[in-house]
Amino acid sequence: MLFNSLSFAVFLVIVLALYYSKLFNWTNKKRMLLFASYVFYGLWNPPLVILLWISTVVDWTAGKRLAVEENQRKRKFWLLLSMFVNLGFLAFFKYGDFLLENFVSIVNSFGIDYKVRPMDIILPMGISFYTFQTMSYTIDLYKRKIKPARTFLDFALYVTFFPQLVAGPIVRAKDLITQFYEEKRATSNQFIWGVFLLTIGLFQKVVLADTLLSGVADDVFGSDKLLHGIDVWTGTLAFSGQIFFDFAGYSTCAIGIALMLGIILPDNFRYPYASLGFSDLWDRWHISLSSWLRDYLYIPLGGNRHGITRMYVALMLTMLLGGLWHGAAWTFMVWGGLHGTYLILEKLQKQYLPFKITKWNGIFLAFITFSCVNITWVFFRAREFDTAWNMIKSMFYMQTNGEKILDSFNIIKVCVVIGILFLCHWIMRNTSMKEVSQKTSPWVLGVVWAILFFLIIIAQGSGEQFIYFQF
Amino acid sequence: MNLKKSLIIAFAISIICIISWEMYWRSQGYYPTLNDEKALWSMHRANVEKATRDDVVILGSSRAYFDIQLNEWETVTGQKPIQLASTGSSPLPIFNDIVNNTDFKGTVIVGVTPGLLFSTTYPKAMPWERPQAKVNYYQDRTYAQRLNFLLSIPLQQNLAFMSADEEKWADDIDLKALLKRIKIGDRIESKKPPFYNFGEVTIDRNMSMTQRTVTDTAFANSITEVWKFFGKSAPPPDKESTMAFFLKDVEKFKAKGGNLVLVRFPSSGGVRIGESHGLPRKDFWDDLVQQANVKSYHFEDYEQFKNLKCPEWSHLSSEDARFFTTELVQLMIVDDVITNSKTN
Repeated sequence: MLFNSLSFAVFLVIVLALYYSKLFNWTNKKRMLLFASYVFYGLWNPPLVILLWISTVVDWTAGKRLAVEENQRKRKFWLLLSMFVNLGFLAFFKYGDFLLENFVSIVNSFGIDYKVRPMDIILPMGISFYTFQTMSYTIDLYKRKIKPARTFLDFALYVTFFPQLVAGPIVRAKDLITQFYEEKRATSNQFIWGVFLLTIGLFQKVVLADTLLSGVADDVFGSDKLLHGIDVWTGTLAFSGQIFFDFAGYSTCAIGIALMLGIILPDNFRYPYASLGFSDLWDRWHISLSSWLRDYLYIPLGGNRHGITRMYVALMLTMLLGGLWHGAAWTFMVWGGLHGTYLILEKLQKQYLPFKITKWNGIFLAFITFSCVNITWVFFRAREFDTAWNMIKSMFYMQTNGEKILDSFNIIKVCVVIGILFLCHWIMRNTSMKEVSQKTSPWVLGVVWAILFFLIIIAQGSGEQFIYFQF
Repeated sequence: MNLKKSLIIAFAISIICIISWEMYWRSQGYYPTLNDEKALWSMHRANVEKATRDDVVILGSSRAYFDIQLNEWETVTGQKPIQLASTGSSPLPIFNDIVNNTDFKGTVIVGVTPGLLFSTTYPKAMPWERPQAKVNYYQDRTYAQRLNFLLSIPLQQNLAFMSADEEKWADDIDLKALLKRIKIGDRIESKKPPFYNFGEVTIDRNMSMTQRTVTDTAFANSITEVWKFFGKSAPPPDKESTMAFFLKDVEKFKAKGGNLVLVRFPSSGGVRIGESHGLPRKDFWDDLVQQANVKSYHFEDYEQFKNLKCPEWSHLSSEDARFFTTELVQLMIVDDVITNSKTN
């Protein structure tokens, strides 16, 4: 089920009505939320709920054993079982065809004529999110950082909580499970703020991503022609805005919906396009994934504890795997590799060419960072290396004979939207929407809210899927 | 921060804006209509799964869609056919789906628009991709998508501003379509003329031409400009592969006991001249009928159909379509091609 759909609107009203009715005690409310979460997921593809159940049961069992087991070998076994099941799901469902395809290529490169049909495995929605979430639970238990969930119901709801089930934020057990222990009710201010966040999220998705930007990005990245530099830059900028509004929109909706239930989810984005460098970017973009990769991959790989070379290797490996997390294609690896390179270069710059960031050079630095990020988006969005490479060449005018496919209005529209996006991020980078809202008159906030809602209604989004669902 | 106050203000202004928006578009001549979308097609495609030998399924392009009026069909035969025609489409992918993915053994009427049926079997070409997208949607649709469509029906039927058609008509009024109308400069040359919606569909997928297309010649001419554009830009027909593909399914369908009927619907003006020149009847229609060896109806062979005029050269007006349907069904009953459940 998509947040930007009529069925979800009906679903949410029913869930809220049941949640705030006096029909259930807290345990039954949690049961209702769990059942609703399975319905939310099952309305997409009912049999794949079984994967959620398997992941839940395996990690619950492993978690319980890890909490009481003292024998180190047995503890390792339970951790590995959890990792094997979750990563096994990912390997099969997400990377099965990719692995097969590359295996065939390697075999063929040895001169052996081997052909195999793709398995055409369906990718279960949100599998990368919920497997990472449940793995964090067992890893934290293994490291004795957290206590196990008190009841199976609390744990199952942690794995399946519908607002963040299919595209995050990837919430740690200590931040979410404990919230299920005591009855939660949103205060009226929390509830209304939740509705406001839901409106903001839907506006980002339906109006900004789908209506204003996706068409241009699709035209440019879907073109099989060699394009003019301006068209490629416009398409890339459009995609950079589309993916931000799409994903940040989803996260904002998720946070808002959870808040309407009195549950607090962490921020997933903090105005990333005004980042001052790439370390700053990864503190602001998809925060729940980057912190997951930092805690469960980068630090176990050695982090910065074993010298500079090892740190760079750990950094690069983390970013490459982070790229692969997004999709089973080499283009995603290049995307991750580019980000890894940026991070290494930034660390070298800080070591050998340090300079002070002032308010004068800050916006320039943010612009440079944003421009470099745009280059990486070409590899992220293009499905083929040839397409990506042609686009990169066009962007830097190494090919000036490219075809023009965008009209002037579309170019102006994208530049205006992305320009406003960049400036908004710059202005907001040290504050939050809540802080700004608190300083805003209720009338102004109400009028802005109405305009956003009205634009969502007239945009009539036809239920476009969120980009991150495919990851 | 007084959120309650903001919420009340936002709610009040939103309601005023939405009502004003609706009233504005109604004042511009818009009225609530359904969108002709994949979800609607899929709802009717699902009916084929439980259809009996007495049922009739209509396939083809927009001519089979506009020119067969379901109520007239039902009035004569006592049974409403399942309308699965698809605009701008070759009938081959959907016929292939019906033959290979269902047990249907009733009557299939295939509307033959030569420029589309004989166009191509290339999966990425428009006449193939469009109907195949419908078939794929039907096979892959989720329960959430079904529910979304059911919930959207009352909204579409009551609100004029709900007009984001999959076809992306030039006169749609969703935000994306409105922005698309803005033109600045001439950086790229747009060769395709604007394509306005000229039909309206009902929940049972009965398509009829809008009255404006019949009465407003300038509007009808804007549609003929689109046919001219398609006529000029269309690649040459691929008779060999399309015939081979179709005939294979025809044999399979006949072997199952199915009853296939081919119908060539009327065209007029420049479209008819273009079709006669580029896809002559003798080489295409006659050859198809002979090789398929099924009952067929060509409008030129019947006195009552010969002189029907299409307002925009390719489809009958709603009134003529009702006449055409009644006459065609009676011819089919006389020929024992379909049964009349009223008399049986």
